[in-house]
Amino acid sequence: MTNINPHHDTRLPLAFIKPGQEVKLAEIGQEIDAHQREQLTAYGLAESRSFKVLQQKPMTVILADEVELALEHQVARHIWVIR
Amino acid sequence: MNSILLVGHPNVGKSVLFHRLTGAYVNVSNYPGTTVEVTRASTRLDQTAILLDTPGVLSLPSRSDDERATMRALLNEEIRCLIQVGDAKNLRRTLTLTALLAELAVPMMLVLNLHDEAMARGISINSGQLAEDLDIPVIATVATGGQGLSELSAHLPKARIPLPMLHYGPEFEAHIGLMTKAIERISPHPQLAARGLAILYLGGDSEVTDWLSQHGQAKDYAELLTLRESALLKHNLATLLARERTEAAGTLASAVTRRNVRSSPLLSQKIGQAVVHPVWGIPILLGVLYAVYEFVGVFGATTLVGLMEEDLFEGILNPAFTSLVTHLITIPWLQELLVGQYGLWTMGMTYALALILPIVTTFFFAFGVLEDSGYLPRLTVIANRLFATIGLNGRAVLPMVLGLGCVTMATLTTRILHSPRERLITTFLLALAIPCSAQLGVVLGMLGGVSFTALLIWALAMVGILLLAGFLAAKLIPGRRIPLVTELPPMRLPILGNVIKKTGGRLKWYLIEVIPLFLIGTFIMYLLDKSGALPAIIEAGEPLVSGWLGLPKEASAAFVMGFLRRDFGATGLFAMADVLSPIQAVVWMITITLFIPCFASFMMMVKEQGIKTAFGMVALIVPFAFLIGGLFNIVLRALW
Repeated sequence: MTNINPHHDTRLPLAFIKPGQEVKLAEIGQEIDAHQREQLTAYGLAESRSFKVLQQKPMTVILADEVELALEHQVARHIWVIR
Repeated sequence: MNSILLVGHPNVGKSVLFHRLTGAYVNVSNYPGTTVEVTRASTRLDQTAILLDTPGVLSLPSRSDDERATMRALLNEEIRCLIQVGDAKNLRRTLTLTALLAELAVPMMLVLNLHDEAMARGISINSGQLAEDLDIPVIATVATGGQGLSELSAHLPKARIPLPMLHYGPEFEAHIGLMTKAIERISPHPQLAARGLAILYLGGDSEVTDWLSQHGQAKDYAELLTLRESALLKHNLATLLARERTEAAGTLASAVTRRNVRSSPLLSQKIGQAVVHPVWGIPILLGVLYAVYEFVGVFGATTLVGLMEEDLFEGILNPAFTSLVTHLITIPWLQELLVGQYGLWTMGMTYALALILPIVTTFFFAFGVLEDSGYLPRLTVIANRLFATIGLNGRAVLPMVLGLGCVTMATLTTRILHSPRERLITTFLLALAIPCSAQLGVVLGMLGGVSFTALLIWALAMVGILLLAGFLAAKLIPGRRIPLVTELPPMRLPILGNVIKKTGGRLKWYLIEVIPLFLIGTFIMYLLDKSGALPAIIEAGEPLVSGWLGLPKEASAAFVMGFLRRDFGATGLFAMADVLSPIQAVVWMITITLFIPCFASFMMMVKEQGIKTAFGMVALIVPFAFLIGGLFNIVLRALW
């Protein structure tokens, strides 16, 4: 039987969040290369930090504090957030 | 002499502050990566020290070329103190870097710049409390308006070593402690604390690695390497240490920051979102391109060039200068060298000042406005999908657009790209298919005069060739594409004074480079003409130039000029515009745009990519330019 993480169903990829919603960062997935993970941390994306999704097309754009970040969907798909 | 280093994140105003504190102008723009090399000048802050403007660091340990340049400055300068410049509205991020700089244990102060933008967003920072917590001076500034600079100057002598902001977890501290002791014993740095170097070395900083390996015995360095490898076996230290610094910075930032909730976004934020909007983004882009065309292509290349070339040079200066020379100089060859067909004045100076100067001035001004507005980083979002087809990401649009100003400068700024593969592809495409402002102006002036269809054919040909060449290059050059992650700085109203200064700075740089090359080029043309070599070249080039490209055989002379500068070659034909058919004009402009870049940009390619790669690119580009030009000649004659 599969062991299901109780929090698993509450986490969503950032790329799936509708514009206008505020979310908290759960995890930056290992699928993103190490340099870009470091880069995202340097931009201030840390676990439990809240940010707002501004748009999803043509790229994901988020507002974290006063920093606007644009992320390609290939990256946003592997960033896990909680609503 | 001792150095004071300005360090900080990209696009926080270090270069504006540098200009304010030294009077020396460095290029300043509203996008990250404007400064890619260290700049130094004497400062009014302290007569006995030199002020250094360093490239922005997103984070340390250093990973990119600009971060490595900053790390080299930290390792190799005799540091009097560091001035960390931070963005007041992003205190958390600013303090993440402070936490690492504090570990280096050199005197420092913190400047919270862009204070006005923080206030506009309802953010206020208790600088006094922050100064107490860090034990260093903390000053709020608005560098563009000169606010807070006298306080900065007054507090600089009080710069001191900050208190450490955090202790890492016990297991990490154990690794750091062991490494610190080893560095102290094996290769201590004259100024930087061994603990700071240990953290950077464990995080994989290549500059620190190089410095440590060069400043200790090989067998001792092996000990450092073993220590690092054993630490890395258990953890991804760079990520874990960065995470702890981010948390500590977040805690301190929250303690000293107060936020008033705003009811609605600022106008600048609304505009910023509209320009990357999936629907509105494209019409806005087209509107921007049209405005640039009207200003550069119509006002610069037609109105101003008309005034300068026909009214000023042809009407007044050239006849006056010719008459003066013929009266004063009786030696015929010298007369001809100055005011003949290939005369230094009548050709060299007239091309440089009457044809090129108005075009590049309008282009640099328009480009400066776009740079300072914050539009260019948003262009990376719009262009990302298109650039994905050529194995790049939207960030490559910055050097490409900058290349429309000057390919030489743009080749240098390929350093903002993250991988050698991206830099190689972008440098190749810059050399192949991106016309510089002077050449662009000649194209707009010449083809705009033929017909809009001619201009459209040229533009579509260039975009098509750029995409095709990029697609093939991406397939042939090994490596993978890096997806785009980029910060979008706030949209700002450009400051006219800054745009004018920047335009002036670029024009000075441009003219210093262009006038000697145009004069040398003219002199070579004169010598070739007098020695009889030019007619021989024209004859020899006839099958290619007339047979294959369908151009008048005299166009060979313009290709000879094009070897020195592409725009010099293009201008050479601009002067023959009256005798060309529309098809000849289009074929010529396509061929010369694809032709090898100017000598200066070739030297920059050598500097950035190495001599083999640079020659390889030229060997590919020259036959390719003639091949494509000839194909267009055949197709256009069949269809048009």
